[in-house]
Amino acid sequence: MNMQTGKTLSAAEAALCEAYDHAVGELPGDAAVLAARDTLISDFKQAGLPTRRVEAWHYTDLKAMLRALPAFDPAASAAKASPLVEGSTVLSVVNGVADARGAAKAVTVRRFAEALADGTAAEGLTARDADDTIGRINGAFVRDGFVIDVPAGTELAAPLEIQAVQNAGQTHTRFPVTFGAGAKATVVERHLAAGQNPAFVTTLSDISLADGADITWIILQAQGAADTHLGEIRITLGTDAKLRLYVVNAGGKVVRQEIHVVVAGEGSDLKLRGINLLGGETHNDVTFTVGHDVPNTTSTEVIRNVVFDRARGVFQGQIRVAPDAQKTDAKMSCNTLLLSDEADFSAKPELEIFADDVQCGHGATVIDIDHTQLFYLMARGIPENKARAMLVNAFVAEIVEELEDEPLVEALEGVIAAWLEKHA
Amino acid sequence: MPAVQETIDQVRQIDVDQYKYGFETTIEMDKAPKGLSEEIIRFISAKKSEPEWMLEWRLEAYRRWLTMEEPTWARVDYPKIDFNDLYYYAAPKNQSGPKSLDEVDPELLKTYEKLGIPLREQEILAGVEKSKIAVDAVFDSVSVVTTFKEELKKAGVIFMSISEAIREHPDLVKKYLGSVVPTTDNFYATLNSAVFTDGSFVFVPKGVRCPMELSTYFRINEKNTGQFERTLIIAEDGAYVSYLEGCTAPQRDENQLHAAVVELVALDDAEIKYSTVQNWYPGDKEGKGGIYNFVTKRGDCRGKNAKISWTQVETGSAITWKYPSCILRGDGSRGEFYSIAVSNGHQQIDSGTKMIHLGKNTSSRIISKGISAGFSNNTYRGQVSAHRKAENARNFTQCDSLLIGDKCGAHTVPYIEAKNATAQFEHEATTSKISEDQLFYCLQRGIPEEAAIALIVNGFVKEVIQELPMEFAVEAQKLIGISLEGSVG
Repeated sequence: MNMQTGKTLSAAEAALCEAYDHAVGELPGDAAVLAARDTLISDFKQAGLPTRRVEAWHYTDLKAMLRALPAFDPAASAAKASPLVEGSTVLSVVNGVADARGAAKAVTVRRFAEALADGTAAEGLTARDADDTIGRINGAFVRDGFVIDVPAGTELAAPLEIQAVQNAGQTHTRFPVTFGAGAKATVVERHLAAGQNPAFVTTLSDISLADGADITWIILQAQGAADTHLGEIRITLGTDAKLRLYVVNAGGKVVRQEIHVVVAGEGSDLKLRGINLLGGETHNDVTFTVGHDVPNTTSTEVIRNVVFDRARGVFQGQIRVAPDAQKTDAKMSCNTLLLSDEADFSAKPELEIFADDVQCGHGATVIDIDHTQLFYLMARGIPENKARAMLVNAFVAEIVEELEDEPLVEALEGVIAAWLEKHA
Repeated sequence: MPAVQETIDQVRQIDVDQYKYGFETTIEMDKAPKGLSEEIIRFISAKKSEPEWMLEWRLEAYRRWLTMEEPTWARVDYPKIDFNDLYYYAAPKNQSGPKSLDEVDPELLKTYEKLGIPLREQEILAGVEKSKIAVDAVFDSVSVVTTFKEELKKAGVIFMSISEAIREHPDLVKKYLGSVVPTTDNFYATLNSAVFTDGSFVFVPKGVRCPMELSTYFRINEKNTGQFERTLIIAEDGAYVSYLEGCTAPQRDENQLHAAVVELVALDDAEIKYSTVQNWYPGDKEGKGGIYNFVTKRGDCRGKNAKISWTQVETGSAITWKYPSCILRGDGSRGEFYSIAVSNGHQQIDSGTKMIHLGKNTSSRIISKGISAGFSNNTYRGQVSAHRKAENARNFTQCDSLLIGDKCGAHTVPYIEAKNATAQFEHEATTSKISEDQLFYCLQRGIPEEAAIALIVNGFVKEVIQELPMEFAVEAQKLIGISLEGSVG
């Protein structure tokens, strides 16, 4: 529950409220959209940015961390990057402006700006709950993104890449994506920086999988060292749907990734894999909730964190099993390599179980590099720094290999290796 | 396992919903008027002939408490408590410090007899030498009798009610009281600091191994009374003490409040073992009545290589809100937490521990077993943290939950915070129901279902039971069996 009650606004809070007053005349949207935006910003004004006192934000005091907000910089330019996996279909958002050209024929793609203009987007402009600061800010300010529909039975041969490139300033994007029954696809959602100046980005992906859909969704967040990235992913799984969700964080200064999954169909399966590569002054918070609402569903979550320098990492994970959601099988693990005396990591893996015939568990570890492993590598003539790098790499690369998609595995391993090269 | 058989027999003997300790003792009581104010606090302090500094300490806490808000973060749900509708002081009349057991009101002794407390020294003396237990009994607000004082004195151990200690050892009390749980700590601890009426005081001097188990029995008897006891245990360098508390209350329709504070201080190489068997009245089948148990327990490993170990068996109370914690300040110190929390009916438990690693080479171990049945909710909430300077901090945590029936809930909320690269934390949690295979194999051998479940549950909690002093392990097993009675379908 939010404990604050509209007291004096912090600089960032005031800046957001002012920005809204300035922008409201030119934000896209019909009357319904505008009404939804007004509600969200007035709720935001009331609640303010969350502090430690808000349980869902216990380790990320956003009010204290966001001192000021970068204003929109019209001079900043950015260019598309080449796709993560060669041959992908790329849909790009450059400095907040979406370009829907280049979509594969099998898929329906529309700019989110259009959905705002004709009011079809209004329904989704809501906050999940009282603690949904990201949903509020994003809903109030969102200008563009993509509405994507992958029709039933469609099988995409090449990955679809949603590429958001940002150079300073502010951007708020949204990606409602629906996968029809039996659809099969791989989607890469990439957030990149084009400059050094700080950017403030909020992004919300609303993903729904109809019965039997089989989807791999990769989120790769690699923003600049001064950027703030507030991301939210809302997911609904239908009967027998399968989702493999990879969330890789390898950039940003203040990062919060919220992932909320509703397992609504029997026989569905969620595999969440998280890789958090944290260095410099990064504060990176991954907050995950999964609600098993129906019987006979499975979910596994594996989170691997590598923390260097003065970085701070947070993982909050909650598995909820509703009454009557019998035969739920849910397992979560969070493993952290803490590699600097100035770094820290906090984990809060929660179980909330209301059904008895279930198998649920979680495990969490915080450790240093295994000295025996290090010794065996060094005994074979590998210098210490190299041996360490190998072990760190193996710790995170292990879960990438599960993907079994050669070009994708190679591309992600490349991202990890490049990041470690730079930070280790 | 004979103990298991005993559990089964015990469970059979007792009808569903019958709380063994639910009798009430009719004794004339000396009560302060209802409500809380500075006058009441002055009254309590005067009743106990306390020195001026103690009264000031209480009043300061009270003023602080007035500015505080009741915490709402725990996963428990109860109607708002009217703190002015409670008696804050109730003492058995004719109670002017009994010199021996003969002077104690026979009604009271009968009560304790019913409770099965080994108050009568001769009973214990007749037993085996090593199973001697010194007992301090607290009835509503007042410590009634403390046994074995003389023998403990010979060893240099001070074991008395805290009211006596405030009068007889003011310097010791002044030095340590509130040093682990400050008066400003939290809503209930602050309330306790203002109005605590009695509790136990233990001081084990340098190098002394306390020659017997120390034990306190707490009982709430009077209607509408809150019980606020305060326990303070100090183990000096190299000292050792094992302490056990037990709690019961009569059956009543209305809810009663219990807000205790326990402070433990372990200096260099000292060890304190604190065991609790909590069996306050849990309320009836519909969830009516029962004790609200809001307790602050904390141990401070202040010295090098100090060790504090908490063991708890929680079967009672309508609501339990309790997190026995260890501050691992001294280098090489160790904290342990072993817990069994059984909830049935409409009970709500939110309990766990905190292990705060501050010193170098500190280690901690947490084993928590939660069993939920009926319509109850059982939450483990724990925190393990290693601070910047806590080099080589080690923690192992295991919390397992067992669900019996599909109307109850089991929750786990651990907070794991590492600020040191050499810290190694391992945390495991599982939630499941009683294994159908295990049950099947038992039934196949002709063991009835209820007995089989008792057997499996006792196996589930064995790791914790083993940590209890032997005399209480048997009692705890029985209690668990009784608590789960009626939960099998």
